[in-house]
Amino acid sequence: MAKSARQAQIEKAALYPLDWTEERTGLVGYTKWFLFRHVPRDVNWMQTLGAATLTAFLVQAITGVFLAMYYKPDPNSAYESIQNISNEVTLGWLVRGMHKWGASLFIILMFLHMARTFLFGAYKYPRELNWVIGVLLLVAGMAEGFTGYLLPWDQTAYWATVVGININATAPFAGPFIAQFLQGGAQIGPDTLAKFYSLHMLVIPGGIMAMIGLHMYLVLRLGVTSPPWSKTAAGRPRPDAEPTGDRTGLTREPSSEETS
Amino acid sequence: MASKRQQEYRAQHKRYKEDVAKEGKPFFPYAIYHDTIMSLVVVVVIIGLAVIWKYTADGTEAGMLGPLYEAKADPGTTNFVPRPDWFFYFLFYLLRIFKWPETVVLGTVGIPTLLLVLLMTLPFYDRRPERAVLRRPVAFVAAILVVISMGVLTWKGATAKESLGSETLSLVPGWAEQEGFAGNPVAVEGAGLFAESGCLNCHVYLGAGAQNLGAPDLSAEGAKGRGIEWQVAHLKNPSSKTPGSQMPSFASLGEENLIKIATFLEASKGPVK
Amino acid sequence: MTDAADNEEETRGHSLWPIGFAIGVACILIGLVVSWPAVLLGAAITIVSGVLWIREAAGTHGPVDFAAGDALDGGTPSPALAAAEGQHLETHGRAGFLTLATIGLGGVIGAAVTLPSIGFAVLPSFTGEGIETNPVDLGPLENFPEGMFVITTFIGSKDQGEVSRRTAYIRNNGLSAANDPSFTIIYSRCVHLGCPVQPNGPKFEDKMVTYRDVTLTPVQPAGFGCPCHGGAYDTEGNRTAGPPVRSLDRYAFSIVDGNLVLGKHFSVGTVEGTAADAKISRYGQAYPGVHVDGLERWLYPIPVPGA
Repeated sequence: MAKSARQAQIEKAALYPLDWTEERTGLVGYTKWFLFRHVPRDVNWMQTLGAATLTAFLVQAITGVFLAMYYKPDPNSAYESIQNISNEVTLGWLVRGMHKWGASLFIILMFLHMARTFLFGAYKYPRELNWVIGVLLLVAGMAEGFTGYLLPWDQTAYWATVVGININATAPFAGPFIAQFLQGGAQIGPDTLAKFYSLHMLVIPGGIMAMIGLHMYLVLRLGVTSPPWSKTAAGRPRPDAEPTGDRTGLTREPSSEETS
Repeated sequence: MASKRQQEYRAQHKRYKEDVAKEGKPFFPYAIYHDTIMSLVVVVVIIGLAVIWKYTADGTEAGMLGPLYEAKADPGTTNFVPRPDWFFYFLFYLLRIFKWPETVVLGTVGIPTLLLVLLMTLPFYDRRPERAVLRRPVAFVAAILVVISMGVLTWKGATAKESLGSETLSLVPGWAEQEGFAGNPVAVEGAGLFAESGCLNCHVYLGAGAQNLGAPDLSAEGAKGRGIEWQVAHLKNPSSKTPGSQMPSFASLGEENLIKIATFLEASKGPVK
Repeated sequence: MTDAADNEEETRGHSLWPIGFAIGVACILIGLVVSWPAVLLGAAITIVSGVLWIREAAGTHGPVDFAAGDALDGGTPSPALAAAEGQHLETHGRAGFLTLATIGLGGVIGAAVTLPSIGFAVLPSFTGEGIETNPVDLGPLENFPEGMFVITTFIGSKDQGEVSRRTAYIRNNGLSAANDPSFTIIYSRCVHLGCPVQPNGPKFEDKMVTYRDVTLTPVQPAGFGCPCHGGAYDTEGNRTAGPPVRSLDRYAFSIVDGNLVLGKHFSVGTVEGTAADAKISRYGQAYPGVHVDGLERWLYPIPVPGA
């Protein structure tokens, strides 16, 4: 008895900071709600692709922030700074490698996540806007790929950017203006690289983070869908008459849980 | 006021919310556990690729995953073959398909924009509540077609070879061996000129070449027995020998070079078995 | 009560003045790039629709709030008028003013911060800032043997350095019919999407010469080819196959103290004839992939300033 009282005391002491924070911010409650909210019991391995995409983005954000400490966005020193990061700076090769390959993975995972959403019909009511935001995120991700591709300032970087900018230039009416804005002048020059760098690490990622926030808010608000083939799918149609007693025995079949 | 479909949707979502509350499982730790495993896989793959990249490549020398960097950008280059990052290969190849000046804007802007708009507005024209993929035949077929065409375009883009001097010159020794004219130095020299002079922009030779404008395969040109003189005259003024030919004149290469190319063509009697 | 509120939403939601206001602002922004008259027009549209918008927004409060006030009082008929009056005064005199002032001041703050920033981000690209007009000296004429193409790479702008390195294929055509020197100077970028075109023919690397930072390599091309999407050109730069939308761009030239000096860059529709006798249909410099002649040129009706 005395022992358990002491235990209770220790527990209380341990929880005190949490209670203190909760009283002043309410954040602990929100976190608890976030963690312990219910999701359909038949969610699928495919539904981890969203979290995987987020992880890939976070890898990009973290490695990108630190690459910015060594990279020099100037045509006369960009290439040398990339060589320096790859060959000289301790662990530079790893961080740059993670950023480069993380980018490819991020794009692949966005496509897979989209394919999953399509397969599940999860873009239908009430999740239409989340699909739209997702497509915008895909476009922003591709734009990150395009702007980031120039930064190493090697041959592929330069010429892929020339072609990319000129593709924009062929758009009727506005095309040449878009191209000239991207180049920062009539030709690709010293300003182009700095502009792409700023777009790549400030403008577009800012937009991506805001959209990820909205995307996740809507996921929390609307919930994740059950696989459409699941017999226990949340929101499945019910017979009009409601002999509820009969149904529970059927729907609690564990066999269709987690078809991976 | 709400349509029948709208009511159906709302009822369905209400049932969904109730079911999740009643039958669902907490996100933590059941679902987040799977998310975490998947994230670990992602991070391990990323680090793995970074390590393989670094340890098999050396500077501009390609390893299993390509070089760490190419040569420094040279805006004045005349022998570089530009390629985009892999996820733009589909667009790159799409642009090759639209090889008529009038259609350029379709490939660059028209089709990509149309696809993007169709993709973005998908929930607004696919409004049936049905979610099971097999009961959505149109969506299913469209998705399969999109995946296949994107896959094919990406693959074609990744393996695309342009038949220009800088790429095809390296094929010459192989040609000489396969066609059996390695012992004829004039023919080998002619093969080099042939490779360098853009002939393969249209013609095909032993599987290399862009096959444009209906130009014939020249792998067995020598078997036709037309003779060096005919070949030289043809190179100087193609339509004088084959009326209606779209081939431009190669007279600017000079008589000496034309004879070398003609020798090479006459020595090309088809691959030696 | 709810009906009245809905009505209010309706009338506000269907007002066209905000759209006019937005069009005006857009017109100003476009005008800053394109021309001053467009700015003035945009400013006029903005001011007029702005004033009308404010007037309308203020005007809708009267009758609607009257009804709302009536209902708020919950069915006391005789003092209803007075209460509505009070409500009306409240909205017009204070809450209404505060609403308008907040929106207006917020708009001013937003405009004051974002307009200069956006202008700073966008406009310099269109003013031609940083474009070097100094002519490029390519060295003595002896380096350009008559009737032969020379791959010439040079620095386009001393200030910008390597990033402005460009390549031109230059052929000395000898003297024209009028006894003037004639050069064909073709820019090396494909007019499909800007890839570097290659000369189709043997290069004479052993005969390469340099002059300051210009390198000159003779070459004997039968035409030019693009390694990206398969564009092909003849030796005058006319398209022979593939997607290019016009002929290869060219440079004008002049001869100063026996040296070839590069002039203005221009785009070419087609070239008729060859070498010294060529008739060139000349246009201002356009982006690759942009049609300069034919019906398709109407897809690109506005020339880009600063190019």
